[in-house]
Amino acid sequence: MTETLSPAQPLVVEEGEEQRGFAGTNVPRKEDKRLVQGQGVYFDDVKRHGMGYAHFVRSPYAHANITSIDVSKAEALEGVYGTLIGEEVAALTDPFFQLATPPGAHIKDYALAVGKVRHVGEPVAIVVAATRELARDAADLVEVDYEPLGAVTDARRALDPETPVLHEEAGSNLSWEGVYEWGDVEGAFAEADHVVKISELHFDRFNSTPLECDGAVVEYNRGTGQWTIHTNNQFPGFAAIMMGPAMRTGLDKLRFVTQDIGGGFGNKITSHPQLVACCLLARKLHRPINWTEWRTEFHLTMSHGNERWFLDTEVAVKADGTLLGFRTKALDDAGAFLRYEPLGGVIWAQVTPGCYRWRNVRLDFTQVVTNKAPCSPNRGYSRMQHLWFTERMIDIVAHELGLDPVEVRKKNYVKAEEMPYTTPNGCVYDSGDYARMLDVALELIGYEGLAERRADAESRGKLFGFGIGSTLDSGTNNFGQSRLINPELQFSGNNEVATVKLDIFGEIVVTLGTTPQGQSHETTAAIVVADILGVTPDDVNVRAGHDTYWNSHAGFSGTYASQFAVTGLGAVKGAAEKLAGEIKKLGSVILGCPESELELADGFVRMKANAEAALPLMACGAIINANNAGLPEDLDVTLNARYVYRPPFELPDVERKYGNLTLTYAAQVHAALVEVDPETGVYEIVQYAAIDDCGKRIHPQIVEGQVMGATAHALGAATHETFTYDAEGNLLTPNFYDYHVPHAMDMPPLKTGYIESPSPFTALGTKGMGEGGGAGIHAVCAALQDALAPRGRPVVYDSCNPYHRVWELLQDPEASRRRVEVISK
Amino acid sequence: MLLREVEYVRPSSLDEALRLLAADDGARPLAGGQTLLNVMKARAAAPDVLVDLNAIEELKGIDLAPNGTLTIGAMTTYTELLEAAETKARPILGEVAATIADVQVRNRGTIGGNVCSNDPTNHLPPLMVALGAEMVIAGADAERTVKAEDFFLGVYLTAAGPGEVLTKIRIPAGRSDGFAAVTIGADGTCIVNAAASLNGEARVAIGCVAAVPVLIRPGGRDADAVRDAVRGADLDPPSDVHASGEYRRHLAEVVAARAIEQASARS
Amino acid sequence: MEPQTSQTITVTVNGETYEREVEARRLLIHFIRDDLDLTGSHVGCDTGNCGACSVIYNGQLVKSCMLLAVQADGARIETVEGLAPEDGKLHALQQSFSDHHALQCGYCTPGMLMSAKALLDANPSASEEEIRKGLQGNICRCTGYWNIIDAVKAVAR
Ligand SMILES: Cc1cc2nc3c(=O)[nH]c(=O)nc-3n(C[C@H](O)[C@H](O)[C@H](O)COP(=O)(O)OP(=O)(O)OC[C@H]3O[C@@H](n4cnc5c(N)ncnc54)[C@H](O)[C@@H]3O)c2cc1C
Ligand code: FES
Ligand code: FES
Repeated sequence: MTETLSPAQPLVVEEGEEQRGFAGTNVPRKEDKRLVQGQGVYFDDVKRHGMGYAHFVRSPYAHANITSIDVSKAEALEGVYGTLIGEEVAALTDPFFQLATPPGAHIKDYALAVGKVRHVGEPVAIVVAATRELARDAADLVEVDYEPLGAVTDARRALDPETPVLHEEAGSNLSWEGVYEWGDVEGAFAEADHVVKISELHFDRFNSTPLECDGAVVEYNRGTGQWTIHTNNQFPGFAAIMMGPAMRTGLDKLRFVTQDIGGGFGNKITSHPQLVACCLLARKLHRPINWTEWRTEFHLTMSHGNERWFLDTEVAVKADGTLLGFRTKALDDAGAFLRYEPLGGVIWAQVTPGCYRWRNVRLDFTQVVTNKAPCSPNRGYSRMQHLWFTERMIDIVAHELGLDPVEVRKKNYVKAEEMPYTTPNGCVYDSGDYARMLDVALELIGYEGLAERRADAESRGKLFGFGIGSTLDSGTNNFGQSRLINPELQFSGNNEVATVKLDIFGEIVVTLGTTPQGQSHETTAAIVVADILGVTPDDVNVRAGHDTYWNSHAGFSGTYASQFAVTGLGAVKGAAEKLAGEIKKLGSVILGCPESELELADGFVRMKANAEAALPLMACGAIINANNAGLPEDLDVTLNARYVYRPPFELPDVERKYGNLTLTYAAQVHAALVEVDPETGVYEIVQYAAIDDCGKRIHPQIVEGQVMGATAHALGAATHETFTYDAEGNLLTPNFYDYHVPHAMDMPPLKTGYIESPSPFTALGTKGMGEGGGAGIHAVCAALQDALAPRGRPVVYDSCNPYHRVWELLQDPEASRRRVEVISK
Repeated sequence: MLLREVEYVRPSSLDEALRLLAADDGARPLAGGQTLLNVMKARAAAPDVLVDLNAIEELKGIDLAPNGTLTIGAMTTYTELLEAAETKARPILGEVAATIADVQVRNRGTIGGNVCSNDPTNHLPPLMVALGAEMVIAGADAERTVKAEDFFLGVYLTAAGPGEVLTKIRIPAGRSDGFAAVTIGADGTCIVNAAASLNGEARVAIGCVAAVPVLIRPGGRDADAVRDAVRGADLDPPSDVHASGEYRRHLAEVVAARAIEQASARS
Repeated sequence: MEPQTSQTITVTVNGETYEREVEARRLLIHFIRDDLDLTGSHVGCDTGNCGACSVIYNGQLVKSCMLLAVQADGARIETVEGLAPEDGKLHALQQSFSDHHALQCGYCTPGMLMSAKALLDANPSASEEEIRKGLQGNICRCTGYWNIIDAVKAVAR
């Protein structure tokens, strides 16, 4: 570290309206008390009598036929409870439902490999034993014979005729393709003064590697046929609809329970295959099953972020730097199975033009399968890749045409006065002011003094670079967008549930449908409820975690895709208001005055005109629950309010691939300063600024925390984090030695700032946030490109730039420059 | 995380340890465990018996002789190395120890374990070679001393063979030392490292470029001479996800030159 | 003494003494979590990199996945469960972590707190740089560390 500054106080650029209640204040986080004392309950803290430990037998091959599996030696080992292999899975379950249209629809995906393995680490069998160590011993005794096949690890080769096919049922390695075109693309290129061509850009494979890996403790109740699944899966709604049909069981037979989750970042959405396997084992072996995924297993198999190539890109630019349009071919590497894919094939379209007024866009999307771990959502899912691409286009255009990256951005950003802004594909950016955010970023990064810093760095023999990353965090999906990849799918809209009740002794109890992994839902929900019921957040008991038995979930319940502040808190607000209404209804009966004359304040329902005429909430709870004789017969008050929040969405137009795909658009503008050692390619981020706008902030400190976390993820991904495979399909970074995530000493000095542009479309003016859109990746790429420019103007073409890649750019700038061509009229 | 079944014993004397090691071909000394347990977790190694050296007082302690020679017990931890008053006599020892991994690893990992595991990315093998250290090895019936440059034989392979224990390391007096590395992140794993010493002849040892540290005796004492010597050494480093062989070869020159510059700044 | 595949050990954890038979191959972290049911310490990796399992072992910070349980025979161990001075009260570091929003999912927190405690026990006036170095062995995937560093700084004198 050259400098060790802590983050400056957030710069308040715009004061919100006058403060009332707790919203907008940093009340103490409710979750903390248990977590700082080691009293959280994560799935692996759940112990059950007679529990067996599961250990997965995994494929050492990237691609092979399984010719035989013999578990007899494993089963003979003392202390082993039993095993499960693919053949049993194929007999007991149906393949998971596929979201794709053909050819992807033909892919058969089971809880364990059936007949064939398609990536290193794919589960082939499971052994359950009395201890973790024994299960591992027994796993070594499972004999699997393989007939190795050729592997494909480079998406660009996946469709070559000689390339081995992963899923014969699908005919080829193509899983999905679609053409997106909006505006007048030909016209834009005809009008352009310059066309900047970029032959190949690559967004690397990584994921956010939550510190806790996946897992579950699964119990089976033979009497009721119900499974209780204590798991850290972060989207039980999705897991259930994947698991139920596959297991040929009703969804109510799958009870998902979770209290604390050790980080998720999207990576814990697609554990349904493993959960099915555990369910089958719990039933087969008559005992609770603990499945603990180890770090190496996580790296080998779970939820890699989508790796994407952008090929033959062309950008249409006017002489004055106005961006008219672009066209590209996106080639997405989905890995071996489509567990959430090909949704990535449309999710990017939420942010089609990035922060810019690009009106004419064509993108040919092709997704292929390869012999690598399956891709699934990862913080910034599919948008991050596309936003990185848009930012790369901006900076490459600026560098090639000799324009100022700041000016190009300002000129082309969607303007504040254009909000709400409809993008070429019908998405509606709800609010925001990107240019102002950029100004704040420039101020925090010290843009004025940049020349001096540059001179200083150069005097020390360093190359100095400055880069901006402007990006969007689209939140609250319209699941109708799934129809753009498969018109047959019966999903649309979105929802979330909350219940708020007033109990017998006046206790306010909130249940959520969400599965937070650190996003502080207990705290923010309590704030919203407190403000509506006229109490303090301390008076509100938000149940920790999620339990499908609480009846506070819906089909889209979970914690993913930046939506809690909108859907979760929308539901909380709805339920609290419903409860408030009931309390007033009861108050009006007891106090003998119209509801309109009542207010909720200081723990009472009372007359606005006469605070003495008041009924404590405790009395309300007691009357309804335990002292209700004599109440009017038609008084419809239960003090147990359930509310389903449903964002206002329409079905998108499938033909034109047009419509509003997400409700809110939080924005981030980041700026980075880097110093590169020209001799080695080693570089350091010497200053960093992150500006965020997520509309109304319910709890600023929590928002800041999300901003910082997303920044750290992006910086890790920009510098070292990569899931790189060799040609045989071996993952080269299966642990935290080789997959280097940032540590405390790696963090640059950070300054944060924010503006607040309340969303006009949400109940609280909030916007979903937390994913951060990979702004740090964009900013570091831009800063590196700036820094390296004096050395032959190399083009930063990859999202991940470890030292060796920077050194290669320095060694042979021409190799990267061959990717770019400018045609000027 | 799940080790194969293993027997464990914690002798309190070196003789006892040697006896236990001799008694079973599959017995291995357990020092800090910061490499060995990881290898066992991955089941990449599965010794039958672990002979824990942690209770053996004779393997601990640092002695500074009047002539400046340091004798460091093999079971000295990195934390002890960087905190001990004696090691200030050869400051590079503490400086390098302070950059190995993190507090937890430094509290357990030992100088003996570091050189005996001879992971090519470890910090101490090249340092020991550059400093001209001598390794004292005890076997079932004799003790012998091996020069550091002859100690390292291959990855996880050293002159301390089966049944033997490295007991101490002797390091001659000197101050003009340097160490440089390119690491994956701050205090991270080394991509290439080099140690240099200008006490007497110029010695540079480069790590991560071969199975054992590569000792270079440059013609001169400046960076250019070192670069020439590294170029002349025809290194053929391995390629991996962090660096191509070519990049490592280039870095070897750079870090070797930086190490010698640091050393000469101290002479 | 002869080599054994399992043995009875006596360990004092947070002031309480436990006697248990344990397999030689069992790592200390599994002993603490599964045998003693002290589940505050966590497992975040299988290679000793993450520090989620950090405990204070005879006064020294260690990763409890990098020690065998049998090695802890006779040892004094402190885990996060023993950090708070008494029921209902928090240790200054625990309070400061909460005040500074130094935790999100809380999975790294127990290990992080033990590292911070070990650091401040040895160096009560640790500087920011020393704090970063003292926490280098603990991975947090949620916070980006900035708030953690601030939280520890606030307790350092
Ligand atoms: C997260 C992490 C990061 C690390 N990063 C680095 C790093 O950047 N640089 C670095 O140098 N190291 C690093 N290490 C490795 C660490 O330094 C180890 O401590 C060291 O490699 C081995 O020393 P040990 O005392 O732990 O030995 P052990 O692991 O106990 O033993 C290693 C081997 O040496 C043998 N052995 C040990 N002592 C003796 C002896 N006296 N006589 C004969 N044989 C013996 C053992 O039988 C075993 O085969 C890291 C470790 C971890 C967990
Ligand atoms: S679990 Fe011990 S360091 Fe990761
Ligand atoms: S708070 Fe989640 S890993 Fe640190």
